[in-house]
Amino acid sequence: MMLYIGRRLLGAIPVLWGVATLVFVIMRLLPGDPAALMLSEAGGSAQAIAELRTELGLDESLLVQYGYHLARLAQADLGASLFSQRSVITTIAEQLPSTIELALAAMLLAIALGTALGILAAVNNGTWIDTLVMAISVAGISTPIFWSAILLIWLFALILGWLPATGQGGLRHLILPALVLGLASAGAITRLVRASLLEVMHQDFVNTARAKGLAERTVLVQHALKNAFIPVTSIIGLQFGFLLGGTVVIETIFSRPGIGRLMVNAILWKDLPLVQGIVLFVALVYTLVNLATDVAYAYLDPRIRYG
Amino acid sequence: MHLGKHAHGLLAAAILLILIALSACTPTNVAAPTDNNGRTDTAAAPKEGGRLVYGLTLAPSGIDPHIDASSELGIPLTSVYDTLVYQNLDGSFVPGLAERWEIAPNGQTYTFYLRRDVQFHDGTRFDAHAVKFNLDRIASPDTMSRKARGMLGTYSHTEVVDDFTVKVHFEQPYAPFLDSLSQVYLGMASPAAVQQWGAEYQLHQVGTGPFIFQEYVPNDHLTLARNPEYAWAPSVYLHNGPAYLDEILFRFYVDPAVRVLALESGEADVMGEIPPQDAARLEANPEFSLYRVAIPGQPLQFFINTENPPTDDPLVRQALLYATDQQAIVDTIFQGYSPPAHGPLSAVTLAYNDEVVELYPYDPDQADALLKEARWIDSDGDGIREKEGQPLLLRGYVMSWGYLPEVGQLLQAQLREIGVDLQIELVAFPAAVEAAGQGLHHLVPMTFSGSDPNLLGTTYLSSNADGGFNWSKVRDAEIDRLLAEGLTQLDASARLALYASAQTRIMDLGLVLPIRDYVNLNAARFAVRGLRYDRQGWFPWLYDTYLEE
Repeated sequence: MMLYIGRRLLGAIPVLWGVATLVFVIMRLLPGDPAALMLSEAGGSAQAIAELRTELGLDESLLVQYGYHLARLAQADLGASLFSQRSVITTIAEQLPSTIELALAAMLLAIALGTALGILAAVNNGTWIDTLVMAISVAGISTPIFWSAILLIWLFALILGWLPATGQGGLRHLILPALVLGLASAGAITRLVRASLLEVMHQDFVNTARAKGLAERTVLVQHALKNAFIPVTSIIGLQFGFLLGGTVVIETIFSRPGIGRLMVNAILWKDLPLVQGIVLFVALVYTLVNLATDVAYAYLDPRIRYG
Repeated sequence: MHLGKHAHGLLAAAILLILIALSACTPTNVAAPTDNNGRTDTAAAPKEGGRLVYGLTLAPSGIDPHIDASSELGIPLTSVYDTLVYQNLDGSFVPGLAERWEIAPNGQTYTFYLRRDVQFHDGTRFDAHAVKFNLDRIASPDTMSRKARGMLGTYSHTEVVDDFTVKVHFEQPYAPFLDSLSQVYLGMASPAAVQQWGAEYQLHQVGTGPFIFQEYVPNDHLTLARNPEYAWAPSVYLHNGPAYLDEILFRFYVDPAVRVLALESGEADVMGEIPPQDAARLEANPEFSLYRVAIPGQPLQFFINTENPPTDDPLVRQALLYATDQQAIVDTIFQGYSPPAHGPLSAVTLAYNDEVVELYPYDPDQADALLKEARWIDSDGDGIREKEGQPLLLRGYVMSWGYLPEVGQLLQAQLREIGVDLQIELVAFPAAVEAAGQGLHHLVPMTFSGSDPNLLGTTYLSSNADGGFNWSKVRDAEIDRLLAEGLTQLDASARLALYASAQTRIMDLGLVLPIRDYVNLNAARFAVRGLRYDRQGWFPWLYDTYLEE
């Protein structure tokens, strides 16, 4: 297993190089000149824009710029943001905790809620409970998060006054954003847990467990659920991607700092070093999450063993 | 399902919730609006103490005023830095950190005699060496200043005459210099702090102002604390000595819908850029005050591309101007909170020429006549004019902010009535800059704010047509001459005349389609008193602000 993990981590390096190159090319192809954008609010003259472009080194040929870029990356130097002049690593490190907090809370909420509802639906398959849970999950998946966010802020912050409307810094500030983000993901997990559990519950080994006289709850938790969770594990990996994307909207509406918003702004304003730094970082996170998911597979399913 | 005995309780609760919601929406007594230049209630003596939470609307990526250009940074930092001179709301300049100044007859040297009693927040002395350090820092190419350097114009160098006398030299006379000096972008920073912190200085800013920079967590908050040593308040303020508030907390509210929610739920005391549809509701609510702040500079406007047919024909451009009903746009989209604009400068800008109002009144018949004269006729009855088989089709780009998409739609409808097919494309800002730079547009919106009319140069000088922001692509020798002279003309009335002529010339050529003057709508809890905004319109003077509770 250790060997497997080691091989996977080594394999991440060419992936990251590929991502870095792809980002470099895409950012150059996107419209917009960073120098003009930086001077747009100030109203720079054509001459000032040209001078700034030279000072930023954007005048050099693409190959030269690519060379500089790779050389810096090799030294783990992500450079400095064009707009804030601060180091990219520092900027990411500052904004990261808030996003992690949000994504983790939303993920936990989604898994907990999704699993609970999925089990409820599967166990009460065919009854009104099942129908209600399915309706809730569809509502969760279909509701746009920017809409539900504003609605919940209006309800809980303005009307009821129970929770703060915006900001970060503690559990109270985390509840609404995590709820909004998690609800959407919970819907998908609910459906999958339900379907997966239904399939597993009709298999022979479950009937065997029941025939042996085990309590239904024991059958459910110790036998059925573990097996049912195998496909769910893979969707959790995918949901994590959705969550990372969703943090952008949540961070904007709830005025939370975070990577999502940082990245969107960096892309819009063509802050090349910052975009490249964030994308590389996200690619790394993805690689690690995928690896963790695969390892979780092996834990859940003894049939799967990695050489 | 059977709800039984819970039914009544649930119903009552639901009705209660709905009633509560409705009561929040229904206007009660109409409170008199307090506008920017008006007085607020100063009957009682200002109370000391308290923390003010101020809502900012976007999180700028960098907040060093010497380097960065965002106007949002000026909102907190105007309270941290003092400037050499200050600008009254009527445009006159008064002493700040400089007690008095002299301008040499050739206009190329300014001599400033500085106050001797000022110290920075880190205890170091403010003197002529500090002034030289600041101006040189801004002008240095290593700093890569986005805005402040441009505001220094033809700056040459600074000469320290003695500890409290400094001479600033220019290669050519630069008329906007005092206006530049009065803005936070040329605020005086502590040389010791700048040298100590380097690239991280923006997180540890040190000025001489009434509030001390405490902490800045990017994208989250910025806090200021009262400066107990402050004893050099300029005459633009209403008192002297330390400020009233203990602390000011700035937080970022990027999403417009959330801004009003945060204000109404009490999370913020002051909020900027209130959407017009919420402004009326807040104004009618006695718990809030609405501040309408007129912004000097260019209005919300569309540049008309003079190089791209069919708008390369002046008759077509003028027809567009006659066919636009600015009043309708202002009433519909901005709820009447903005005055309609008719020229390249907003009405509160220095040197505004009100002759532009009469140039293109809303007159669809005149537009029709001009288009006929240009031989654009609707021959096939489809509602759109043609000429030589080509329809009168215009490409307009809009960005997603500032209600530009809505303005674009209304403009589209208005132009359709005179047979012009305006196609609107919503693009991100970088794409708009790229497209406009290449001249792919017929109409594109862009604006620059500022109290000095020299900002017309950014968008109307021929030198900025390629690679700059001259998006009407005009190359007119007369405009170039007027603007160049305006830049170096230190005589006030002569300067006014030059810019007056420039404005009428710009409108005669039909280079721009003005829509509305910018009015920044700020709202505050009624307990917030003494809140005023400076000449630039964006920046609050929080020194006299206090909380009445």
